[in-house]
Amino acid sequence: MEGVADPRTLIPERTKSRRAQVVIEQAIKAFFGGNALVAVIVLALITIFLFREGFGFFGQNLANLRLYRQAGLEYVDIIRGNAAQHESLSRKLSEIRLREVRVMEKRNVPLEEINAALAPFDQFASAFSDTAENLHGLVSDLTDQASALKEQLFARAELLAQRNQLERSGAQTEAEKIVVPEVDRAAALARLREGSARFESVSAEITAKLYNLLAQAPAMPDPAGQKHFEQWKTRARKYLAGLPAASEKLRTWSPDTPIPWYRSISSFLFGRDWVTASFWQDWYGIIPLLVGSVLVSIVALVIAVPLGVASAIYVSEIASRHEKRLIKPYIEFISAIPSVVLGFFGIAVVGQAVRAASQSHFFKWVSFFPISERLNIFTAGCLLALMAVPTIFTLSEDALRNVPRGFKEASYALGANRLQTIARVLVPASLSGIVSAILLGLGRVIGETMVVLLCAGNRIAIPDFTQGLGAIFQPVHTMTGIIAQEMGEVVRGSTHYRALFMVGLVLFTITLAINYLAQKFVARYRMSIG
Amino acid sequence: MTATASNSRRVHLVQGILFWIFRLATYFVLACATYIFLDIGIKGSRTVFTSTPPFINVPFLTEPPQTLYVFDYEGKKMALSDRQFRQWKVEHPGTEVEASSIAYSAGGIWPCIVGTALLVIGSMILALGIGISSAIYLSEYSRNGPLIRLVRIAILNLAGVPSIVFGLFGFGLFVIFFGWNVSLIAGWFTLGLMVLPAIITASEESLRAVPQGLREGSLALGASKWQTIRKNVLPYAMPGILTSSILGIARVAGETAPIMFTAAYAMKDELPWQVTRMTDFFFQGVMALPYHIYVVSSKIPQNEYTERVQYGSAFVFLFLVMLIALTSIILRERSRSRLSW
Repeated sequence: MEGVADPRTLIPERTKSRRAQVVIEQAIKAFFGGNALVAVIVLALITIFLFREGFGFFGQNLANLRLYRQAGLEYVDIIRGNAAQHESLSRKLSEIRLREVRVMEKRNVPLEEINAALAPFDQFASAFSDTAENLHGLVSDLTDQASALKEQLFARAELLAQRNQLERSGAQTEAEKIVVPEVDRAAALARLREGSARFESVSAEITAKLYNLLAQAPAMPDPAGQKHFEQWKTRARKYLAGLPAASEKLRTWSPDTPIPWYRSISSFLFGRDWVTASFWQDWYGIIPLLVGSVLVSIVALVIAVPLGVASAIYVSEIASRHEKRLIKPYIEFISAIPSVVLGFFGIAVVGQAVRAASQSHFFKWVSFFPISERLNIFTAGCLLALMAVPTIFTLSEDALRNVPRGFKEASYALGANRLQTIARVLVPASLSGIVSAILLGLGRVIGETMVVLLCAGNRIAIPDFTQGLGAIFQPVHTMTGIIAQEMGEVVRGSTHYRALFMVGLVLFTITLAINYLAQKFVARYRMSIG
Repeated sequence: MTATASNSRRVHLVQGILFWIFRLATYFVLACATYIFLDIGIKGSRTVFTSTPPFINVPFLTEPPQTLYVFDYEGKKMALSDRQFRQWKVEHPGTEVEASSIAYSAGGIWPCIVGTALLVIGSMILALGIGISSAIYLSEYSRNGPLIRLVRIAILNLAGVPSIVFGLFGFGLFVIFFGWNVSLIAGWFTLGLMVLPAIITASEESLRAVPQGLREGSLALGASKWQTIRKNVLPYAMPGILTSSILGIARVAGETAPIMFTAAYAMKDELPWQVTRMTDFFFQGVMALPYHIYVVSSKIPQNEYTERVQYGSAFVFLFLVMLIALTSIILRERSRSRLSW
């Protein structure tokens, strides 16, 4: 009996240690669970911080737009628009001349003769651009006035804000020390609006001179050139017809028309200009960046989808086992190439190669060759394609491999050959998997930064689509590129800084949407195979 | 009969042609990649290797970047690094030369290698810690429920977030909100959170590959859940977890966008350990190889003087990242062919 311990002394101890153990186990479980939640927290934090830093953008941008109107910058821009039209017509004339010279050079006409033949045309062109002299003078005068007013208004708003802040923190005496200068906006604007009358006289002068000039426009030596010139004349007449409308706009323009709050959002989402750190007016329109990103991604996918899907079909259905064992790891290996190295390779090799190819005789028939910029949408697209291929390949190959054996065997049993089996059975059965692979490839491409930053040319402009396919040989800037390039240089808290966060938010939303779609397709794919 | 025979011959021909097209597409991709490796490999090895012993360009790997000065002297083109140029001036007093300077083009890339190594180590420790813990929870503890679904959705979506958005996030949270400024620790967190989804997915896969019987046996012998995981699950899953995580290292080392405004400096004279206080170590920006490549390929012109550092750094970087990736792929292929259960 001595060897057996009293059960009453044992039990409490055991339950105690049990309890301790249970607590420890619970704590461990809670610890792991907490870590599992990190993913959710991070995703939430990303959203929160993009909003936190970016959302102030709309208020600041609205103030920016209001100042644009109140200081009369908008007024000046109406006139500037006309001056710009005039200039673009002038540029068009020199393009027509260039084309004409090229045509004659091809016919081996000596240079003196070309110049002699085009002399009346040159005279016409210089007379045309001379007519705008007064218009340009007017614009530059008004620009000075308006920017001075804007500066004053801006400085005043800053001081007011400073004073308000001091008042709110209770420093009355210091707040009173800040002298806020009065800006005589009415007088300044009245002076500015004298421009209307000047514009009217200038435009009357231009109209008279140009109609006169157009009436005695010289004929072109070449019928194709004549056709372009006629087109130009129609455009010039349209421009002249539009001048009275511009005067009307100037007369009815009022600095006090309110700007609705939604203009701030629409000017961001649909704005066609991204102009920052300008002495005149900053514009934050995402369209040029969005178009750039989308075009680069389209080019990349047009190249990568056929290659990726074809190699997935090849590896999963056609290749021998030895080939498979070599190709699969190699393509995976490609996905590990750092994007910055690809970008460097693009600058050092691909860009030059693309331009050299466009200059070669072989591509002489292409109308938009030779290209002028070596870094353009196409260069970036080619390199991004190489990044997208591994993603598309790996996931498509997975989808093809996961088609049940029975499908293939049934197809062979019915007498189909390998090609028919691939085209009619395997690819349709794995189609949703392939589509989701392509979508994930798109997600990777659109979010890629370094390659587009280094190779897309970084010109903030919507490509000129009148060139047709030639548009993909123009430089663009992208959403990812602009963040990477400008984030390091902006002042924290400025409108520009917040605009960049908004671009990030748009990018984030786009990638989440793509991801969501891809998951939807995968879910369908699972169902269809059942 | 002859009609069907010619028909089948035609079908055969079409099939043959299409298969060749598929084959060509595949090999075209491989050829493009090979061309990149060869181009950077050949031009880069001119910088990194030398024809005389020790055959490796030690100064390039162990010196900090310097400004290069190019000038004409007595009919000769001279290209001297900052330090050499100052010494040369001392040796040639009174000679005035018009030297044009090219930033970063002389010296080596040692601080960049160090910085990248530090960034990788820190962020991988962070990512492995959080990642393996979450994977253990997901594979061992969790039951399907709305919360777990939410976690899985978050992981999937986090994997698709562009790296530049991680950069913005890291900038907003760590650099500004926490006030860490551009620092090593901000880079660790940004990069660590960026690879987290990949680590979680890989770890969970390895944990799930451990047969259920091992867990059941351990539980049946009276071990607690944690004891089971620690003694009977993790040891068998660990090789798989680490192998798959190596690919994560390649990604962390290769990314530029997230560290551009959270951790990287274009130029810094001191090495990371040359700090006065211990805590400064964590709160200092570092130079990093990928950022250095970005800087030297976009901020300085392309010519014979800059090619050395451009191709040299690209080569070293590509070599390191590819070595890591290759290790991971080889280890995985081996573990696949050696299925133990």
